[in-house]
Amino acid sequence: MKNWLSILLAVVCAGKILAADVAADFASANKLYAEGKFADAATAYQKILATGSQSPALFFNAGNAEFKAGHLGEAIAAYRQAELLSPRDAELRANLAFVRNQVQGATLRESSWQKWVSTLTLNEGAILTAIFFWALFALLALRQFKPTLAPKLQAATRLAVALTIFSGAILGLQAANHFNSSVAVVTASDASARSGPFDDAQNIFSARDGAELKILDRHDDWVQVANSTGKIGWLSVKQVAVLPGA
Amino acid sequence: MDATKMRLTLKTLAMLLIALLPSATWAASFTASLDRDTLTLGESATLSLAFEGGSPSRVPTPSVSGLQFAQAGTSQNMSWINGAMSSTVTVSFSVTPQREGEFSIPALTADVGGQQLATAPLKLVVSRASAPSAAAVNSGSEVAFLKLNFPKQKVYAGESVVAQLQLFLRDDVQNFGNFQITSSPTDGFSAGKTAELQNQRRRVQVGNRVYTQIPLALPLTAVKTGELQLGPFTASAVVVLPAQNQGGDPFFRMFNQGEQKQVTLATETLNIESLPLPEQNRPANFTGAVGQFDLAASAGPTTLTVGDPITVRVQISGRGALDAVTLPEQGWQNFKTYPPTTKLETTDQFGFQGTKTFEQIISPLNNDVHEIPALTFSYFDPNNGQYHTLTQPAVPLTVKAAGATPLPQIAATKAEEKPAQDILPIKENLGALAQSKIPLVAQPAFLAAQAMPVLAFLGAFIWRKRADNLANNPRLRRQRAVAALVASGKDELKKYAAANQSDEFFATLFRLLQEQLGERLDCPATAITENVVEENSILRNAPATTRDALREQFQLCNQARYAPVRGTAELNSVAAQFEKLLGELQNLKS
Repeated sequence: MKNWLSILLAVVCAGKILAADVAADFASANKLYAEGKFADAATAYQKILATGSQSPALFFNAGNAEFKAGHLGEAIAAYRQAELLSPRDAELRANLAFVRNQVQGATLRESSWQKWVSTLTLNEGAILTAIFFWALFALLALRQFKPTLAPKLQAATRLAVALTIFSGAILGLQAANHFNSSVAVVTASDASARSGPFDDAQNIFSARDGAELKILDRHDDWVQVANSTGKIGWLSVKQVAVLPGA
Repeated sequence: MDATKMRLTLKTLAMLLIALLPSATWAASFTASLDRDTLTLGESATLSLAFEGGSPSRVPTPSVSGLQFAQAGTSQNMSWINGAMSSTVTVSFSVTPQREGEFSIPALTADVGGQQLATAPLKLVVSRASAPSAAAVNSGSEVAFLKLNFPKQKVYAGESVVAQLQLFLRDDVQNFGNFQITSSPTDGFSAGKTAELQNQRRRVQVGNRVYTQIPLALPLTAVKTGELQLGPFTASAVVVLPAQNQGGDPFFRMFNQGEQKQVTLATETLNIESLPLPEQNRPANFTGAVGQFDLAASAGPTTLTVGDPITVRVQISGRGALDAVTLPEQGWQNFKTYPPTTKLETTDQFGFQGTKTFEQIISPLNNDVHEIPALTFSYFDPNNGQYHTLTQPAVPLTVKAAGATPLPQIAATKAEEKPAQDILPIKENLGALAQSKIPLVAQPAFLAAQAMPVLAFLGAFIWRKRADNLANNPRLRRQRAVAALVASGKDELKKYAAANQSDEFFATLFRLLQEQLGERLDCPATAITENVVEENSILRNAPATTRDALREQFQLCNQARYAPVRGTAELNSVAAQFEKLLGELQNLKS
């Protein structure tokens, strides 16, 4: 028992030390940003992210620093990752819209249903659905233990069924969007989409820094993408940031 | 015949064949021929080069100024006639004249089987097809003729007109086929695909004869200005006429398959004046649409945030060269625009009538934008020679500043009313660090946890079913009640035995026997006495040892009323016997 408590204490302490380190690095990066050293700040934020630590504020600030350093694609990629964690953050949406407006050329836009379902994170959707699901089965079990309560619980049960189905459908859409609608954000200044996954393949179309493209397929270090006009081509993963759907 | 003789005969025959073979091959030859020696401009002839008795080392390609040669194919024919083998290789060329005149295809030479051979020169006369004279048409001597109808003398550049080619077939033409337009000069026009106008064949009187008129539509759009020439269109067809040599015999007429005749047809040349579009009153946003059009437009959503997309759908419907219709520049300076998509849906076979739909995504750059400006589209109507401008009214918009969405975290401020000039500043608070990148729906533990409420419900359901079964089965209920009573009764027996309380011990023992037997025999416990051992059919069928034990237990209980004092050891022994008896009773089938 004492051993278990020691391990738990060690884990908690290690977590706190790690969080303290990340907070210190975050503050240092913020300071670089405040001094106008945007490229250095961007590198500092990316360094924190490379450790696996992530928070909406970290991605948000990284997006700001990348934008100020002139990297539209990297900024949009960071904002979109922040959006996955905190989709209702108004400041984040404002900055993402502002940066998207700076992007030249055709770019992919989310459909209205994608926007609608992405107002909740995938985890929020999962928890909400689980709550309704548990409540539904708790009511059903209660009806077994106390059959006399069944008439009184009928309305509540129907409501729980409806909410479970509705939230389950939303969760299904969210999951489909998250796992099947990957997006590539162009991070190179001018990327050439080619007819095949080879460096010497024919150029099909060009995408500018920050353009968001739908990923259709992957092959080694190449992704097959489609732009908003329906043109399809292959881009090297070095030229894009690959993100899951919202 | 033995095997040696057979082999000798076969060898002799083979040597004879080899000896005969050189004399069996033909001497090599090389000839050239044309399938016809006169042509009308627009038609093609076939030149055949035949190599007999061997293959050429190289096939010569003829070259004559004004004639175009294209290799059409190669065929090989081998035959064995009267013991002589003949092999012929034929190479075909399609010969297409590019001008009228008399041409000479010179002698061609080739190396065939080691011999240098030459063909004889060939002559080909090419004449220009011409429309038959009115007198020839009216006399009825023409089996078939072609006419070109253009509905106007003057057109405007960009105007679309459907011209008509009319094929006339004399009434004695039994059939026609292989109709091909061989030349269709439409300089200054963009021509569409020629197609027969369905269900519009009719019979007409031309001069002395009746002809079948077959109209063919030819969609044209003027692309140049000035004097334009249309035609002569030339065509060829094969017509079937009644055979001339079967006389009036009805028997032969029945089998009259007719005679095929190749005819060459030509129209007259039409001069059309193509006028430039007037400069006067030309609208500024005119993009070259000529015809008659209507404009419809819609846009949505109209309540949005800066940067959100609006889909503007513009439909231009009507008649004209819809392919060339483009959406003019609109007053969208305050919007970011994306390349429009277009969709053309035509309702006629020429592509001149229909609807062209433009879908344009625009996005307001700031929240000072209050409307999508009025949409305008101008076109030139060639029927009245005037420009027209169609307008769709402005669409009101409600545009919120980016970041001013009605969410609790950010209160709207005066600064947000202005268009965003820069991104919002960084966040000073790191916030909660995320622990896992794997979404809950992809975590097995989360998914497994969702089975718990289902299992809980199933447990409750099974419990409910068992409770219902018990409530509906009094026998089962009594069985369980007696089992519980016996279980507690056995403890009481041990307690009374230990305390040497003989009266209480035997009273309890008697009651337990009554309850257990009553349950087994499905009768009230109070009705159970020692006599039941002899009277009840179930017990009568029980093993004799069980019946004896029962009797003994009942007798002990009876004796205890008269001689109650017994020792603890004896009582424990009775209790042990009772427990053994209980096991036997519980196995009795009621």
